Formats: sequence, structure tokens, C-alpha cells
Amino acid sequence: MKDERTFLQPIGLTLKYVVLAVGAFIMVFPFIWMIIASLMTAGEIQLRPPVWLPAEPQFSNYSDLADSIPMGRLYFNSVFTSGLIVFGVLLSSSLAGFAFAKYRFPGREFLFYVILATMMIPFFVTLIPVFFIVRQLGWIDTYQGLVVPGLTSAYGIFLMRQFIITLPDELIDAARIDGASELRIFWRIVVPLVKPALATLGTFTFIGSWNAFLWPLLVINSRELMTLPLGINSMKSLYADNTNLLMAGTAVAVIPMLIVFIFLQRYFIQGIALTGLKG
Amino acid sequence: MKTQYGVIDAPAAKAASLLPDMPKSALMRRRMLWAYVFVSAPIIALLVFLLGPILFSGWVSLHRWDMLSPVDEMPWRGLSNYVFLLTKDRVFLKSLGNTFLFAIGGVGANTALGLGFALLLNSRIRGRTLWRVLYFMPVITAPLALAVMFSFIFDRNFGIVNNVITAFGLPRQPFLSGPSQALMTLVFIAVYQFVGYYIVIFLAGLQGIPQDYYDAAQVDGAGKFQEFRFITLPLLRPVMLFVVVTNTIGALQVFDLVFATTGGAPANSSMTVVLHMYNTAFKFSRMGRASAMAFILFAIIMLITLIQVRLLQDRTYQE
Repeated sequence: MKDERTFLQPIGLTLKYVVLAVGAFIMVFPFIWMIIASLMTAGEIQLRPPVWLPAEPQFSNYSDLADSIPMGRLYFNSVFTSGLIVFGVLLSSSLAGFAFAKYRFPGREFLFYVILATMMIPFFVTLIPVFFIVRQLGWIDTYQGLVVPGLTSAYGIFLMRQFIITLPDELIDAARIDGASELRIFWRIVVPLVKPALATLGTFTFIGSWNAFLWPLLVINSRELMTLPLGINSMKSLYADNTNLLMAGTAVAVIPMLIVFIFLQRYFIQGIALTGLKG
Repeated sequence: MKTQYGVIDAPAAKAASLLPDMPKSALMRRRMLWAYVFVSAPIIALLVFLLGPILFSGWVSLHRWDMLSPVDEMPWRGLSNYVFLLTKDRVFLKSLGNTFLFAIGGVGANTALGLGFALLLNSRIRGRTLWRVLYFMPVITAPLALAVMFSFIFDRNFGIVNNVITAFGLPRQPFLSGPSQALMTLVFIAVYQFVGYYIVIFLAGLQGIPQDYYDAAQVDGAGKFQEFRFITLPLLRPVMLFVVVTNTIGALQVFDLVFATTGGAPANSSMTVVLHMYNTAFKFSRMGRASAMAFILFAIIMLITLIQVRLLQDRTYQE
């Protein structure tokens, strides 16, 4: 029995690596294939039997792409709107979370229950009315139409309240004795202490708005205001017959974010595991 | 010392006494005012963009409305939108069925694979960070980009999967363009996208189980399977609940992926509820019917969540 175990162990371990490697290959292959295909000629993509590598990498695909798709503009729009949304969500969530955690005021319980209830409302239920409101405000095809409905998050308020409530009251009271204003207490004491929670919430919010598609699709019409997912969507029809260019465009839209992720992966993954366990 | 809210708040009281010309209650009132300032903007935003809209949406679902005619002139339709959807709208019923299949397939595969790979990564494996990064890449990638990548990979004519299949002498498969395969291909893509997220969550859950339990089990002569069955699974219950519930809620709302790959085709075989709702509202301007659709799906999501919570909840404290 004992011998059998030690004999089987290396085989089991090898098998584990094989399974992990096959899984990882499936995960990575679509990205690699996208990059390879983006360097092929339009003819090479349709060859049968297929070619696995371009005879000569067509870097010109990327310059062709740059001629017809304003990639810089798409990037600016995505960075700008996602940045505003992340900033708004972090500020509003931490301020409201602070008030719910550390202040006593009439209606606190009721308002907090309201926030808990709104956390469960899925996006699609409010889609039509929010679109209507934004249209009534004349915000169709504007940055504010894209950004303003996303500036607050019930989940964010809940998350920040849960974190801020664990901070000792003595810290805040001590600051008050020193004559600090409420805003100063928030900025100098609360914010620095909940940075990990802010980083997590910010990461989530950023991924969400960076990849968002349905809302931008409804609100934005003009090319100048398109975000990256909208850009990919319009390239789909523009390059219906030029898959190589479509792949080049998608690669330009996707790879920089992946590189950022690889550098910051520890924070991404820790934060996600953290909220997963809290929920 | 007690404050007006009946809670001991000695330092605050001390602070108040340090400011003799300002009465305690005035200080409290000022602090309260600040609290209202802090919560006001988010509360107003939630009222305008969430609470108000859901009420309005419910109201619209009882009317006929094209969003162009004035709100106060919408013709009242009672429950007829709901009745129509549940009895006559074939596409809606089809999309409900598709959405369920999509969710069941996706949640089942994500849970099994997520837990399976998390168990692998939790054993003595080298390069855990590298594996996690590789599996996590699709999670942060836009569904739109994945849709484009996989439309190409699964293309009937020059997709790489078909090229490999036919090289082995097997028949060409339609995948996303086949009525019997489109939905399952979408499930595959959705699992591809999210399994890394669930691996990370399961892995965190596994690492939270104290090693002592396993040591004790080994002393008692438990095998690997018994350890899994009687220690790992029961202790993972809260994580399992989180994974199943969040994944189900997300899967039932799928839109981007379907919109950008099949658009619900062929013959509505991959039509999902939110995509049908989108079409009904923004292509055919039937806001009442689309709102009713949203409420039916919302009710279904709440019901399913409730059932899942009941079934998977940690009952150790209640028994």
C-alpha cells in the first residue's frame, strides 16, 4: 500500500501539470491566435488547409487599421469615462459609507435598508427608464449620458460601510478633540485606513465600466465618443471581410489592458478573493 | 456619559466641553448635518437612477408606450403585456428556455471546473501565480472582444477548430451558426470567460480551511475522497453558495456575448431574454412589453436566488 503510493505519486503530479497545462493552453490560445491572425494577409486566413503562421508578418495591418479606426480616440474615451466613473463611485461610496458607519442621524436605518434593497436590482430592469431620463435631459451622445448614471453604486456604499465600521471610533473622536473638521477626518483618517477596500472597489468598477457595452451602445452614436467595446462592435461590420484587420483592432483594444493586469495581478486577484469571501 | 442617542460617547462629550460657547446639542446637530451632506448625493442618484426607474418601469409594463408619446398619455393595458408574453410571444418563451439552459450549463461547468482547478492549484504545485494569471486573463477581457475572437475561432468555413476537426477526417461543424450548437457554443465561451474568476474564489475558500482538519482526518485514516466529501465540501458551502448565486444571476442576464456573436440566430435558437428585451424596446419601440419582460425575468431571478440560498445555506447553526 505504502509502496504503491510513492510509486503513483510522480504520475499523479505529472497528470496534475498536464491538466493545468491543457487548461492554460485553452485559456491563452484565443489571444495568441488573435495576434497571429492579425499578422496574416486576408488570403492566408482563408487558406485550406490552414497555415499556422503568416509567411511574412504583416505589420502593415496595424498601420492600415490606424488609418481607418481612431484607436487613440477610443482609448481616450474609455480611459476618461472609466476614470470618472471610478472616481465618482469611490468618492460617493466612501463618503456615504462613512456616514452610515460612523454617524447617528434620523433615518439612517431606513436609508441603509433602501440601499441594501437597490443592490439587488439588476441593470436590465432600469434600462428603459434610465435611457428615457437621459434622453429627456438631452444627454444622448454625450459623455455625461455615459458617465452620470454610473457615478453611484449601492454595492459600493455597502462595501465601504462594512469596512469603515471596523475602524475604531477612538481615532475619529481623537481627531475631533484636535479640532479636525468632519471633512478633514474623512480625508486624513478614514480614507488612508480603507485604502485596500477602495482599491478593490476601484478595480471592480474599472473592469466593469471599461468592458461595458449595452449602456454605451444605447447612449453613444457618434464615432468621436465611442469607447473601446463600441469600437470593436463597429469594426465587426467594417471589417466583416477582413478578419486579419478585425483581429488587429481587437488586439490593440485588449492587449494593453492585459499587460496592466499582469503587472497588477496580485491586487486584482487578492481583491476579488476578498469580496468573494465576504459575500 | 450618555449622548442624546443613548450611546456612551465620552471623547465626544469631552470635545463638547472643550468648546464651552457651543452647546452639546448644536455640535451634534452640526455633525448630523454633515452626515446628511455625505449621504445626500448618492441617495439622490440612487433615487433618480435606480429606485425611481424601477417604479416607473413597473408602471410602463402596464401600458403601451413607444417612448415618444408623452408619459401621461400612455394607453393603459393592465396585465395584457404579461399575458401576451407568457402565452403568445413564442420568441420570449423560447428565449426563456434558452436563458435557463445557458445558465444551467454555464453554472454547472463553472462550478465543477472552478472547484476542480482550484483543488489542483491548492495542492503542491509550482508556479501557482503564473497559472492563476493565465486562467484569469479572459475575466478582465471585454465580452465584445471575446465574441470577436471566438466568432473567428468557431467559424464554419475558416475557423481554426473546424480546420483541425476536418484534418482528422471529421465532418465540419456549424458551431455558432447551427441551430443545435449555437447555444452550447455560447455556454463554452461564457465558461471560458469566467472560470478563472471562480477558480480564484474557490482557491481562496480552500486556503481558508484550517489544515488541522485534514491532519485529524489523516490520523483517523481517512482517504483523499473522504477528506473531500466530509471536510472540503461542507466547509466550502458558503463559497459554493456565493459562486452558484452570483453566476446564476449573471448568466440569466447575458447580453453582450450573444449580441456580438449570433444576435440570437439561427431561428432564435440562441435568443436570450435580455437580448429579446433589447430588441423589443429599442428596435420595435414596445416599451411596455419590454418592461414586462424585465419584470418577469427579475421575478425569476429573485425566486431562483431564494431557492438556491435555501438549498445551499450553511445549516450547521440551525440544526
